[in-house]
Amino acid sequence: MSATAPEAVAGARTGLAGALVVPATLFVAIGLIGPIAILFRYSLNKFIPGQFMVDGLVIENYVKFFTDAYYINVLVRTVRVAVICTLVCLILGFPLAYVLARMQSRFKNLMIMLVVLPLFVGNAVRAAGWMTAFGNRGAFNASLTGLGIIDRPIEIMFTENAVLIGIIAVNLPFMVLTLQSVIEGIPRHVEEAAFSLGANPAAMFTRVLWPLALPGILAGTILTFILAMNAYATPVLLGGPKFQMMGPLVYGQFAQQNNWPFGGAISFILMTATIVLTVAAHLVVQRRYR
Amino acid sequence: MTAASRPSLGRIALNGAAGIGLLYILLPLIFVIWLAFFRQEIPSFPPEGYSLKWFGAAANNKAFVSGFVLSLQVGVAATLIGLLLGVPAALALVRHRIVLGPAVNTLLLLPLVMPGIVLGTALYVFQIETEIATGLPVLGSLGGLVAAHTLVVVPWVVRLVTASLVGFDRTIEEAAQNLGAGPFTTFWRVTLPSIRPGLVAGGLFGFVTSFGNLEMSLFLVGPGRTTLPIAILQYLEWKIDPTVAAASVIQIGLIAVAMIVTDRYVKLSRVV
Repeated sequence: MSATAPEAVAGARTGLAGALVVPATLFVAIGLIGPIAILFRYSLNKFIPGQFMVDGLVIENYVKFFTDAYYINVLVRTVRVAVICTLVCLILGFPLAYVLARMQSRFKNLMIMLVVLPLFVGNAVRAAGWMTAFGNRGAFNASLTGLGIIDRPIEIMFTENAVLIGIIAVNLPFMVLTLQSVIEGIPRHVEEAAFSLGANPAAMFTRVLWPLALPGILAGTILTFILAMNAYATPVLLGGPKFQMMGPLVYGQFAQQNNWPFGGAISFILMTATIVLTVAAHLVVQRRYR
Repeated sequence: MTAASRPSLGRIALNGAAGIGLLYILLPLIFVIWLAFFRQEIPSFPPEGYSLKWFGAAANNKAFVSGFVLSLQVGVAATLIGLLLGVPAALALVRHRIVLGPAVNTLLLLPLVMPGIVLGTALYVFQIETEIATGLPVLGSLGGLVAAHTLVVVPWVVRLVTASLVGFDRTIEEAAQNLGAGPFTTFWRVTLPSIRPGLVAGGLFGFVTSFGNLEMSLFLVGPGRTTLPIAILQYLEWKIDPTVAAASVIQIGLIAVAMIVTDRYVKLSRVV
């Protein structure tokens, strides 16, 4: 920064601005786009067991994925889990986001911090919390038997339900924060106007709040869907080795099978889903709000 | 239903639903923190008693200690490099008309929304190719890990410094220069103090993101060189007990402190 020459005219300023922004841009471009390009190139290579990776230009890794019932099953399961988690996040997240957005007390910042803190703590630690709760003698079963509701512990660990509960908890803060920022931008008196014109809360919600919050709802939905599709630690720890989702599948291909081309292809299928959904949602939002 | 009772009833239901949402988010952390203070090793409820001995056990666990040290090193290094790259970029993006400015801004924020698994696989193959091209050990090295973490620190720095610059009055700088201050003095005495909140917040958020990163790092760590989140994951794949809970509590505590400090500089509700 100190090395920059004195600048007075507009031309020099533009040059300085370029010098300031180029290092970060280059770093991210090379560190992000370069790796993804190489990953795509790898996914077109061949894998011959014993010989490792062989250069090629084939789509057999993609064909293998979409023709094998096992992998299609994993993809379908991943999408199902992601859809359920996203819907539950929306239903659970909306009231909290609304209350946070309309809150004016000094506790607001504390509440926001409580929502943000788990985000940064990491997925493994939060999975540990659920592992504590879900065991045969864990908090859930102990309190249910203690209350006399059940007399034998329910199997929760290593089921799809455990994974669902875990991923919802991981993604809920993202949904809440996205919705909250959009609802905060909706003026309060728009709601009051609806009420004074005779709308009941349900009508106000469906006719005023929901349509106005739709961009945020879409953004939050996309974000949580992407994150659920790509979940790793939660399915590994709460689903166990038999519960396969796309994230652990990619890692297994790289770390255990050493099948980089196929792992690259699966990773690319995941990422393509991510990009296609994001672009599609942007288009939908732009068409509706222009 | 009268007009007076309707809002209050609705209000109670709304607050109740919001409370359930917040409790759901916090529940896993509550359980981990609770478990860390159990007296017995088996996570069975209700606990037989409480003890602090597991924090000692976690502090004596080699994987946790070396993981903590590595996470700290990587986090600090990635944050410093991320600040060096991100702060000038944010300054330029807010203050100057840059060719393709919005596109550059999107690119700089992109690593934040890239799924960790995809980022991890892509960087893995990239580092292998770099190794082949240069002959230097990259994969599994400290440098390779720091470079990858810098990639996820930069977006936070750009985002938070940008946020803190939006209300900044350009004319103050011009006044300083009119009064004879050179560009360096202007930056050091006028610009820097005014972006300090964004600087601190960006740095802390970047550090916290790096410190808690799991999915991407999973692909990039070498044998015997793991970060704390990976050490916790590997331990949990084997078993859950108060030792790993105590290690988690240390991580939660560190991140909570970083967040409270950040909040003093930039209100969290404005930036996340």
